[in-house]
Amino acid sequence: MSDIARRALIKGAGLSALAFSVGGTQVLLSPRQAHAQNIPFRTLNAEQVETLEALGETLVPGAKQAGIANFVDQQLSVPHGEALLEARILNVRPPYANFYRAALGAVDKASQAKNGDKKFAQLTGDERYAFVDLMRQNKIDGWQGPPGPFIYLLLRSDSVDVVYGTMEGYAALGIPYMPHIAPEKRW
Amino acid sequence: MATLEKVDVVIVGAGASGSLYASVLAKAGKKVVLIEAGPDWQMTDLISSDMWGRRVKPSGVPFLFEGKNPYGYAYQGGWGVGGAALHYFANFPRYLPTDFKVKSEHGKGLDWPINYADIAPFYDKVAAEIGVSGDAKSEEIWRPKGQAYPMPPMKTFRNGQVWLKGLEANGIRMVPAAVGMNSVDFKGRPACIYDGWCHVGCPIGALANPTITYLADARKAGAEVRALSTVTRILTDASGTKATGVEYYDAKKEKQVQEASVVILASWAAQNPRLLLNSATDKHPKGLANSSGLLGKYMMAHYASGTWAMFDEDVENHMGTVGAQFMSYERYDKNAKKAKGAFGSTYIVAGTALKTSDLGGFANARIDLFGPKLAEFMQRAKRGITRLTAFGEEMPNIENRIEQASEKDEFGMPLARFTHSFSDEAIALWNANFDEGIEIAKATGAKEFWSARGPMPTIHLFGGTIMGEAAGTSVTNSYGQTHDIANLWVAGPGLFPTEGASNPTYTIFAVSQRGAENLVSKWGSVAG
Repeated sequence: MSDIARRALIKGAGLSALAFSVGGTQVLLSPRQAHAQNIPFRTLNAEQVETLEALGETLVPGAKQAGIANFVDQQLSVPHGEALLEARILNVRPPYANFYRAALGAVDKASQAKNGDKKFAQLTGDERYAFVDLMRQNKIDGWQGPPGPFIYLLLRSDSVDVVYGTMEGYAALGIPYMPHIAPEKRW
Repeated sequence: MATLEKVDVVIVGAGASGSLYASVLAKAGKKVVLIEAGPDWQMTDLISSDMWGRRVKPSGVPFLFEGKNPYGYAYQGGWGVGGAALHYFANFPRYLPTDFKVKSEHGKGLDWPINYADIAPFYDKVAAEIGVSGDAKSEEIWRPKGQAYPMPPMKTFRNGQVWLKGLEANGIRMVPAAVGMNSVDFKGRPACIYDGWCHVGCPIGALANPTITYLADARKAGAEVRALSTVTRILTDASGTKATGVEYYDAKKEKQVQEASVVILASWAAQNPRLLLNSATDKHPKGLANSSGLLGKYMMAHYASGTWAMFDEDVENHMGTVGAQFMSYERYDKNAKKAKGAFGSTYIVAGTALKTSDLGGFANARIDLFGPKLAEFMQRAKRGITRLTAFGEEMPNIENRIEQASEKDEFGMPLARFTHSFSDEAIALWNANFDEGIEIAKATGAKEFWSARGPMPTIHLFGGTIMGEAAGTSVTNSYGQTHDIANLWVAGPGLFPTEGASNPTYTIFAVSQRGAENLVSKWGSVAG
């Protein structure tokens, strides 16, 4: 049997798009599509979304458009045993929403203390970059909440997931994805 | 609570060792029930995606990780049928004779109660049963002769080949890696197509995960798997001399009792002691099988010193397997790096397929980079980056341990506190292996190279229910039968008194095969 035939044999066997609520019904979308369609958030509030998108975009260019906030928000709404987040394999204790809320709150609090009461999303691009560079090295005095280097690791991983970890991301980089069982919606 | 009809054997955990035990016992005519905390995964669940691959790993684990080097659990943990071996790399190196006699040879660590020669026939048996690809003859520069593997070595790619020049320049001989994968079609399972998705589960069956080998055989022979069911206690009779079954919560979270003539714990090296501690009675106040006081002690992990290198050429890093293409025991002498204050074996592998994301992805090759610098790095790395890895051994330390915590899980079972710290000798070996990795990379002609440094990782897991000669100094005998209760057995790497430096699953299978055959052979005197 040829390699291509082997892949085709099991193609489509997996359920891989994420379920989002639109007008009271469930639809399967990729996070990029969910972002483009302004799908309402389930778990995070508007401030948390704003911070997450700004932080994700600072960590990995393209993360905002790739739906970083929709991805995380949707994943926080499912039972932790079904979650696809990197938090799962970094020993974060469920419910994962507790960690994300604490982490995003810590980032904003430190940003306000350091930058004249401006939350992270209100910083300029250079200010955001400088802040993250200090955060990853645990060099922000008076930090409160989950450790900055761990927030950096985890949210950088989430951002890498949505930008580089999808079939679309592989295609953009020019790397063959070669799935045995392809995720649906090219996710 | 219902008490279910008594069976011959109840096995806690349907991973590597539990599946093998189930196969041997069911084929011997025993009625076998496996109770598995996670789902009953199907091959069609193994989606080729790092994100979706996380579904087959644990979530919300019942451990509190402490110590200077807290154990990293979930990336390598199992959840559901197949256990961690559902998504393992299937590197199948074996332990060497020296691994079984560290105390005798070096005056530190522990001895196993058996020798390499006791295990060697079972390595061969496992290879013939589930399939191993490699070149046994080439390995015999480091180990005693044995049978040839049933399949030739796997294909190699530039991401592995580019390291050979540097390794040779440093006096390190490499041979084809032994892997539990099909280089050719084997027993109705197809040959590997080198897509590099091993670590999220191989749905075509080219990689020998237990669900398509031992567990499939066990089911054919009548074994039953109860998924999403969590065992909380092992039950004993009033005299405390016999295990009578297990208490568990089924998929509907209803409490059940499964009575059995023999109980086998094959859940995980840290979970087995947690269960035994939670099964204390007035006859066993410190927990079952703990008359030695060593239950939960001597937990051990491997660690890795990785070296990244960037080449101008396309090293085909999207191709291959996540396991190794080449392996070496050249630095396996436990005193090989004594001059640097190190002790322990080193096992070296080269050649691995790389994906972009997840812990092993190349986006993490430079964890310090973010923003535009990361984007630029990803462009450069996508064709040119590759990694060399040296695994190191730590010695058993009684302070690395599992204990009950006061906090409880959803079933009212105490969480376990897992304390783990590496010794100075292990840290010295980790550092020495980074130094050697850089020397090797220099000699390859790579345009850039660097050490994959970060917090010292913990890889694989051993100990907690170690085997030994005597009841006072170990938890089980060499077969996994507990010294204290004849019909209570333990399986898996928790039995290992020392950990070697090479990947453990081949040895887990071999030790389990030996134990399972022994149980069958003396069934009449063991079964309660």
